[in-house]
Amino acid sequence: MKNSSRRFLMSLVAGIALAPLAYAHHSGAMFDMQKELTLQGTVKDFQYTNPHSWLIVLVKDKSGAEVEWSFETEGPSTLLQAGIKRSSLQPGDKITVKTHPMKDGRPAGTWNIVTKSDGTTLTPRSAVPGAAAPLPPSAT
Amino acid sequence: MRKRSYAIGSCGALAAAVYAIATGAAFADIIDTADPSNPHTTVYATSWDEFQALKAKANGGTKMSWSTLPDWTGLWTRAEGSGLKFDASQKSMEETTAVPSPAYQKKLTKKIADFKKGVEWDQLSFCLPAGYPRWLAEPFLKEFVLRPEESWLINEQLEEIRRVYTDGRGHIPEDEAYPLWEGDSVGFWNGDTLVLHTNNLKKGQFQRLQPDYSEKITTVEQWRKVGPDMIEDVVDVYDPEALAKPWHVVQRYQRVKTPNLRIAYWSCEENNNVTRGADGNTQFLLPGDKGYKDPNTLQDSLSQGAIPDAKK
Repeated sequence: MKNSSRRFLMSLVAGIALAPLAYAHHSGAMFDMQKELTLQGTVKDFQYTNPHSWLIVLVKDKSGAEVEWSFETEGPSTLLQAGIKRSSLQPGDKITVKTHPMKDGRPAGTWNIVTKSDGTTLTPRSAVPGAAAPLPPSAT
Repeated sequence: MRKRSYAIGSCGALAAAVYAIATGAAFADIIDTADPSNPHTTVYATSWDEFQALKAKANGGTKMSWSTLPDWTGLWTRAEGSGLKFDASQKSMEETTAVPSPAYQKKLTKKIADFKKGVEWDQLSFCLPAGYPRWLAEPFLKEFVLRPEESWLINEQLEEIRRVYTDGRGHIPEDEAYPLWEGDSVGFWNGDTLVLHTNNLKKGQFQRLQPDYSEKITTVEQWRKVGPDMIEDVVDVYDPEALAKPWHVVQRYQRVKTPNLRIAYWSCEENNNVTRGADGNTQFLLPGDKGYKDPNTLQDSLSQGAIPDAKK
């Protein structure tokens, strides 16, 4: 706990010092790093792949219609360092996702923190020592 | 041939301080690169001059055998707090520790201005390699395979392997050379330190939001283990086109201790739906978009697509 807190703090400092989100394979310019949404939904697919993994989640909008959201995260070797295995999420799992959404309003964003129905949290970027963490969310 | 004094020791001390603050590591774990007897307190006219001077200082180098090679086994990754900065000691986006030539400073200024406008693109998104020396600043797993006559420095991403020949051979003859992603590296051992010289590189950028470099780039590196869980690479970058003076950077890599973790081969194309928008910015194709490549069906769809073509 102590180590992870220190790592988070230093990642935060690095993130502030050098603002861009440090995705290794592509720019993070498409994400709105000043905005964080919290969404609840059902896992449709966990693409445990390189260069990035994607979590596909069905989220009900205000009208009750299901919208397919895509959340991007790191590749398997980084996820494993964060304790996230391919089996950590299964289709049908009820989850809550914190995300920095796309600037263009399409239903996608970063995977910041996933909380499962049993309270387990999955934080991929907690284990990226060489990369900056996302900027802290705004107050909204 | 020595040209002018070059205050590198302080850079090493600063990098060590940054690392120590970031990790809480004791300085006792790190060999202080601020040692004034370190030959990196002097800059040379060319990287080859520096390499030869280091070789002379090492009396031609240490002849290694399987039993005398240092133990660099395990998995490694960039030290905490490095971010996507080529020099971990860089404090802000605008404050590169390099001194670019005027033309390359202009490129860097534009790159940062574009980013601030929300526009950024990276060749990696086309699944091209990072290439060396950006290789040093990639945040993936690294592995070092040492042999007396040749060493492999491996980065997980695209399995980029740098082959370092320590059997006494020289560089590829000029009339056979051409730009390479990882360049051509020859070196020698100075005790437990691997000293290498690299040339024949493709042009590129040191990292996103970092300066660009030209095909005139060459480097000298000194790799050594500075603690049980830390490997250091002291790098001097020479590029008479892109840099107004050589760039001295200390790279550090920490041991990854996750049980069962291994470097696995992967293809960048297995799930790459990154595209470049009309404004030059980075964008995604999402499920349902035209051209989206579903990783679950990619191999099947490609092989199915090949059948009609074959019948033509």
